[in-house]
Amino acid sequence: MFEWLSNNAVIQDIAILAKPAMFNIYFALASIPLGFPIAVALALGKNSKNYFVSNICRGYIYAFRGSPLFIQFFMFYSIALSMNRAYWKPWGIDDIVLHPLFLGPLVLVFNTSAYAAEIFYGSLRTVSKGETEAAKAVGMSQWQTFRSVTWPNMIRLAWPAYTNEVIFLFHSTAIVYFTLPVINEQKDLMNMAGELFERDYNIFLHFSVAALYFLAISVVIFFIAGLINSRLNRHLHNGNNVKIKFKPNYIR
Amino acid sequence: MIETLPHWFTSLIGEDWTAKLDYITNGKHLLWYASFRFTLIAAFGGAVLVVFFGLLGASLKQSRFWPFKAIGDLYTTIIRGVPDVLFFLFFPLAFEQTVEYFSAQSSCTADELAQTGVWPPCDAAQWYLTQNEYLILACVSFGIIYGAFAANVIHGAMSAVPKGQLEAAASYGFSPRQVYWRFQVRQMWVYALPGLSNVWMLLLKATSFLSLLQIADIVLWAERLGAPNYFARVGPIHPDWRWKYYLVLFLFYILMTMLSERFFEKLQARASRGMQLANS
Repeated sequence: MFEWLSNNAVIQDIAILAKPAMFNIYFALASIPLGFPIAVALALGKNSKNYFVSNICRGYIYAFRGSPLFIQFFMFYSIALSMNRAYWKPWGIDDIVLHPLFLGPLVLVFNTSAYAAEIFYGSLRTVSKGETEAAKAVGMSQWQTFRSVTWPNMIRLAWPAYTNEVIFLFHSTAIVYFTLPVINEQKDLMNMAGELFERDYNIFLHFSVAALYFLAISVVIFFIAGLINSRLNRHLHNGNNVKIKFKPNYIR
Repeated sequence: MIETLPHWFTSLIGEDWTAKLDYITNGKHLLWYASFRFTLIAAFGGAVLVVFFGLLGASLKQSRFWPFKAIGDLYTTIIRGVPDVLFFLFFPLAFEQTVEYFSAQSSCTADELAQTGVWPPCDAAQWYLTQNEYLILACVSFGIIYGAFAANVIHGAMSAVPKGQLEAAASYGFSPRQVYWRFQVRQMWVYALPGLSNVWMLLLKATSFLSLLQIADIVLWAERLGAPNYFARVGPIHPDWRWKYYLVLFLFYILMTMLSERFFEKLQARASRGMQLANS
């Protein structure tokens, strides 16, 4: 029984790909905590009445949503490389700045903050007018209105779409190492699957196991986001019995 | 290239700009400009197949025969749960191997077929794909990947078609198949258009992956042209200029997005002529 398990090609692949999967998880986990607040700031900026702030945020969101992440990776990596001699090297930080474990999350933050900002902007505009007016009528200041009315509603309304965005972000970590250099054994799922493929040319096995990892982690993200979602909606009557289902949205 | 320009023009822009113009119109750069065709072919060819696979997927999802429905649901769920680049690489390689497997069955000896860890088993079964064949396979993979996205959009749009229209068609004596193809599918487009425009944007951005299949597309040429250039006879021509070329590609894709947005706005306005919509 045990021997069969350790000799099974699928089990072997799952074991080999466990460590590379950590790199994908790292890229996603490292870029979400920074991407989320930047996205909120960009959404508020786009909604601002200030002409310059609003247009800068709008332009940023448009540019990063309108171009492929693949090109963004190449562009930022080559910009970082060309600035190496003038800045990073004299400052002694070239090892950090040009390291894929730093540059990867950085570009992902640029990208995901634009996509998430568009989601938050959309939900910001659907926060009901009546509620903000009620807050003003009670005598709340602008900050208090934002803190206790706009913000919670915005997050609650945006949450399902934001979950979708996080899954897209996790999936886009697959292209990090197609563009940035692979250092030693720091390989992600796509690298390792490609390497295994070059060993015995069994594409069906290796790519399916890599796909299985992506599917499984997507389901986990869905589950966690679902728990947060039911907490955000706990004041609604159906808040506690919202069913968590793996039913992904298809549009980023 | 530069010699064909009239003298008054070159003297107007000065020697520096003439040299620059000469540089960006040299043979390699012209090849780069020509390689934009791969991106456009992949986008448009992919889009046609996306609509095909989308209709197929939506029909499967809507089917009352449960195995078909299960296949349709499985197709859309699996594609969505997996990164697009994974499937984009998987499909052409898997297709190539499948073809090689069948040609190996007929052209290799039994001994060669029995060995493991070697692919293909013998040289006769090796299928060398040309760039254009890879391009076709890339289009098909785009069709399958984004077809799953489109299937979901179309499936949703199908149920947005007013029931009364379908019932009216049925009461006129159209068979269920006729009602489906002549009424539901034709009425569905208006509701599907916003979603399909989103899918087109995703497809357009995914065309940057072509270089992963060794197609000499715009990304590959940007890498080649921008890499630091050195001739032993002349010395260094230019340092690392890749960022300039990638910046051009960045702007190219933003421009394409802008144009597509305009186009879909016009199309939507035209498609919803005479419709009473809630927000108009």
